[in-house]
Formats: sequence, structure tokens, C-alpha cells
Amino acid sequence: MDYYFFIDLIQSLVDGLLFGTTYALIGIGFTLIFGVMRKLNLAYGAAALAGTYVGLAASLTMSLPPIVVFAISALGSGVIGYIVYLGCFRFTPASHPMASLLASVGMLLFIDELVIHLSHGMPYPYPSALRNAELTFGELWIRGDLLFVFGICVLAMGVLYWLLYRTPLGLATRAVSQQPRAAQLCGIPTERVNALTFVIAGILGGTAGAMTAAAVGVLSPVIAMGLTTKGLIVVVIGGLGSIPGAIIGGLMVGAAENVFQLLRGVTERDIYVMLLLFIFLTLRPGGLFGSTAGRD
Amino acid sequence: MKFNTLAAASIAALTVAMPAVAETTVKIAGFGASSGVVGVFGQNSSAAMQAATETINAEGGITLANGTKAKLVTEYYDDRCNAEEGISVLRRIATTEAVVAVGPTCSNVAEPLFGILQAKVDDAGDTGLQFPIFTDVAIKGGLAGISEWVFRNTPSEAAMYDNLFGWLRATYPDAKTVFGGVEEDFAHSRFTWYQVMKVAAEKHGFEVVGEGQWLLNDTNFSNQARAMRRAEADIVAISAHPFTTCGMLREMDRQKIKPQVLVGLTSSSSLETLTGCANEAEGLIIPTSFAPVNDAAKFAANAVAAKGGALDLHSAAAWENFMILRDVLNASAIEGTAETIESDRRKIRDALAALKTVEGLLGTNQRLPDGEAVKPYVFVGAKDGGWSVVHNPGS
Repeated sequence: MDYYFFIDLIQSLVDGLLFGTTYALIGIGFTLIFGVMRKLNLAYGAAALAGTYVGLAASLTMSLPPIVVFAISALGSGVIGYIVYLGCFRFTPASHPMASLLASVGMLLFIDELVIHLSHGMPYPYPSALRNAELTFGELWIRGDLLFVFGICVLAMGVLYWLLYRTPLGLATRAVSQQPRAAQLCGIPTERVNALTFVIAGILGGTAGAMTAAAVGVLSPVIAMGLTTKGLIVVVIGGLGSIPGAIIGGLMVGAAENVFQLLRGVTERDIYVMLLLFIFLTLRPGGLFGSTAGRD
Repeated sequence: MKFNTLAAASIAALTVAMPAVAETTVKIAGFGASSGVVGVFGQNSSAAMQAATETINAEGGITLANGTKAKLVTEYYDDRCNAEEGISVLRRIATTEAVVAVGPTCSNVAEPLFGILQAKVDDAGDTGLQFPIFTDVAIKGGLAGISEWVFRNTPSEAAMYDNLFGWLRATYPDAKTVFGGVEEDFAHSRFTWYQVMKVAAEKHGFEVVGEGQWLLNDTNFSNQARAMRRAEADIVAISAHPFTTCGMLREMDRQKIKPQVLVGLTSSSSLETLTGCANEAEGLIIPTSFAPVNDAAKFAANAVAAKGGALDLHSAAAWENFMILRDVLNASAIEGTAETIESDRRKIRDALAALKTVEGLLGTNQRLPDGEAVKPYVFVGAKDGGWSVVHNPGS
């Protein structure tokens, strides 16, 4: 094996894992909503992007440090997440799951078009933190901004874990997730919990959108479809409803994408990622951490 | 006195009651992507068409066969850069009173769309659509040959990049090697790198030492930039649209890749690139068939800006197309009625086919027998957040 190839392989793996944390965040958002409400919100990626644009708009109107822009993006996405909940899930009868799924598809297209219309499809510079910093280990180097993205994602996951397992809100969320009727009988306001879950998932999505844009340094509406697709792949691989699964799935997809790009080129890269998805769907439909499903 | 008052009142009443004489209008349709991620191209073209229409009408409009004047009207149809929608839009335009259409934006729409037109005029066995199209944006080379109803006012990228690499050879004699970056899943970007830039670079004695590929929606360019860094090429040529061009330029900046010369894709010589990454794009050289270098070009740029658009090489072609069509309509003696619409369309097609030269914003454009054009061009460079002319091959 050629020395430079070996270095490239390690570097691709490292870069992929760091990028994979943004996929993990998106995956956690998807899985959180699915885990709690048993509904897929396909507008999630678009809402994350729209929230990122809220942060961008703030940074274009006033001079703000990157961390504040990221926070505004996350909060903006949380608010949009709540609007998506109201528009697609709150008033849709639970007996018609397809209605809310299709409503979320409609919302995805609507948000996407709105963002494109307002931004004229133009790419805009998005602030990055630690842009010029880097860690060097011989031939290998780690981008400071990606390390920052990684740190923010890990922090967001940690906060989520704390929220879910150390707070009354988390207890209520898990109760609604496991036994919605029993939770209601215990006096837990399920609609409020559902709405809060959407807001929290939205904040995670906004963080992922902000970190993706910060990693590229440019924000464009083309990011939305990638966020949605990657998020769905991550939850299938990790297991719908499993937060550890979404984290591992996100890192796996990020690493696989980068390594396959190095080994097989960009035109074949996605074939192998989709093959990975196909293998999981056929051999382990519950994903890495989901329950094993019965077969025909 | 009483009679005079009565007469005046009667005349006033008659004037008010008399129906206004309907103004004759001739419609030119515009179509392309005015929504979606490349929607800005169509929005700029639409603004250019509106501005050109107003300018032409302010000068009196066009002259019909019977010597009367008619005003131009225009309407822009959105195909979202989607081939199926493009075909559907053109069929819809053909059912309206439009005598000619200007569009589309995307080469992946243009290619199948031109295929539904009659390939050879007067071929009774070919039932394809008989409707003249005068393309402004879709730039992939050689597409006009698909149908004799298609004419294009897009620049020849082959000629522009051939001249550019020749100029680079003379201006940077120390530069020997080129590294190419290409957006693999976009027809125009791909075609321009593999069939145009790479060919031109090798023709002028540059060695292509590597290529980096990525996709239109990609957000990670680290692998490609690493290969670029290792290649240590003197020239980096990026054949990609503004979003990924900016992504790649930022990654190059991070990895401290500083080639002697940066070359970009024609479509990136726009406001979008500068909005996205003005600092990283500093020094990027792109050949373009539009720059506001003379009074006519400045007037057009201001008129389009007043309509909320920006004039770049693509929307400038839309402006030029309308000015060329004004002359074609005046010369071809169309009648402008619903009954004569098919013969009017044919007259316009024949008049467009007969053109040898036309005046464009940067000078005289040559019209070729296959419906393509050879347009004057300049090389612009990104400097201090704007585009400035670095070389004018025609001067």
C-alpha cells in the first residue's frame, strides 16, 4: 500500500467522522420525532435549513460573532419546527398517518421554495468558528472548524441526553413515547410534550444546518435535500427511535461517504452509501440499535 | 351659447363613450428556470426581457407588414430547470399568440426540448413542433444543430477557453501544469471541463496533472483539495457553478493552496460568486461575453437593474435576443394577427436563419449557418468584490 494512499485513507476517515457528527444531529432529530410520535417529519431537513437562514439573515443585518449566529440558527429552526408541528401534525388525525407524512412532504417543498425565493438561490457566506486553526500530526491534520463542529455536535447530543434522562420534561417525553394513553391518564399533557419535542428536534436540526454551513463556509438552498436524505439514511442504519443508533449511524455514513469517495470516486460514492442502506433494510431492517423485525 | 355648451358636452360624452382603439401587440415568450436553485438565472433573464421590451416600446415598438406599429409584450414561463417541465412549457407557449420564444436556462432542458421540434424545415414527414426558439442561456456547445427551428445567442466556450489558455501561456510563461476541478453531475460543468477547458489547456502546452470531481449538492471538498495541494499545479481551473465553486475555493484557502492562476466557469462570472465568496474568489479569471465596458452595455445593465435583475453573460444574451428580434420582426413583415400566427413564426425563423451578423452589447456577433453564434468576449477577474476586465482579446 502506497504511503500517501494510507495517509489519505486515514485523513478521509477522520474528516468523514467529523462531518458525520452533523449527520448524527439530523438523524437524532428525525429519530426523536419518530420515537415520540411514531410519525416521520420529512420537512425536518428543510426546516433546519430555513432556521440556518434565520441566523444568516441576522448576521447580514448586524455584525455578530459566529457562536451567536449559530445560536440564532438553532432557535430559528426550533420555532420553524413548532410551525411544522402545528401545520402537519397537531390537527391531523392520528388514525391517518399517511396524511401527516404527506403534509410534511408538502411542507418540505413549501419551505424549500420559500427559502429559494427569498434568497434567490444565491450562495451566501456563512461564518465559521476557528476557521484558520488546525491540529497537525505529521502528514495528518484536523481542521479547527471541523473540530469545533464536532465539539458543538457532541455538546448538543450531551444536552439532549441530559434533557431526556435527567429532567421532568425528558421523563414526560419518554412516557409519551412508550405509552401515550397511559401518559395522558397520568396527567402528562401529551400535545405540549409533542410540541416541545418538535422544538427540541428543530433546535438540533438548526444546529446541524448551522454546522454544515459553517463547515463549507457557504450557505445555499441545495443543502436541504442532502440534510433530509442523509438524516433518513442515518436513522435507518442506526434504528428508528434510537438516539445512540443515530449517533453511530451518522458517524458511519460520514466516514463511509468520505472513504468511498477516496476509493471509488465521487460518481460511485453514493452508490456504496445506498448499498449500505439497502443491506441494512434487507438484513437488519430495525437498524443497529432497533428491534429485530420478523420476516416473511 | 346654449348650443355651444350642448355641443361641447356632447363631444366630451362621445369621447368618453367611444371605445379606445385596441393597441396591436406582438408577444415574445421567455422561458427557463425562474425558481429552484438555479432560479436566479431565469429571474435575471426575465428582468432583461422586461427591460428590453420597455426600451423597444419606448422607441415606438415594431412595424408590421401593413406599416402600422405594434407594441411588444413578453411573459416569462418557469420550467424549473426540469426537462419534462420545459417541454410542457414550450408546448403551452406554442398554443399562445407568442411568435417566438427565448430560452431555456439549462442545457439539460435544452437538449431534449430541441428534440421535440421539427428537425428540418419543410420536412412533411416530421411532425415535430414548428416554433422558433432563440436561446439565451443554455450554453452547452452544439445544441442548435438538433433542429432548424433553434437559434442560439450563447457564446462559444470552446473559442473563449482556447483564447484564454493561449493568453495564459503568453502571460504566465512559467506556468506549466493545470489541475481541474469539475462538478460531475451538471451537464454544462462537465462538458466544459472535459470537452473545452482540458482540451484547450493541453492544446496550449499545459500538462493536466490531476482532476478533482464533486457533485452539485456536495458540502465536503477536503479529499479533492488534498489531491490538488499535492499536485502543486500552477493553474487551477474550476468548472462548477457558484455554490460549489465557493465551497472549493474556501477549502483551497483552508488548505493554503495558492496557484499562480485561478480559472473559473463562464456561468460563475456572476454576482452569485462574489456574494458567496468574494475574498476567496479574488483573482479568479473567467471569460465572459458580457461586461459593462461601453455605453450600450452600461445602459442595458442599468435598465435591467431597474427591473430588479443583474446583467451577466446570460441575461445580457436575453437583452441582445430581444434587440435582434426587434430588427428581425421589423424586417420580416409579419402581420401580427391570430390568423397569420403560423406564417409569422415561419417568417421569423427564416429571418433568423438568414442573419449573418448582428450587433451585440460588446460588438458584432457572427451568426453561423447551424444556428450558433460567435460572440465577442473579454476576460474578467474578481477584484475587490467586483468583476473587472483583465484582458480584451478584441482590442
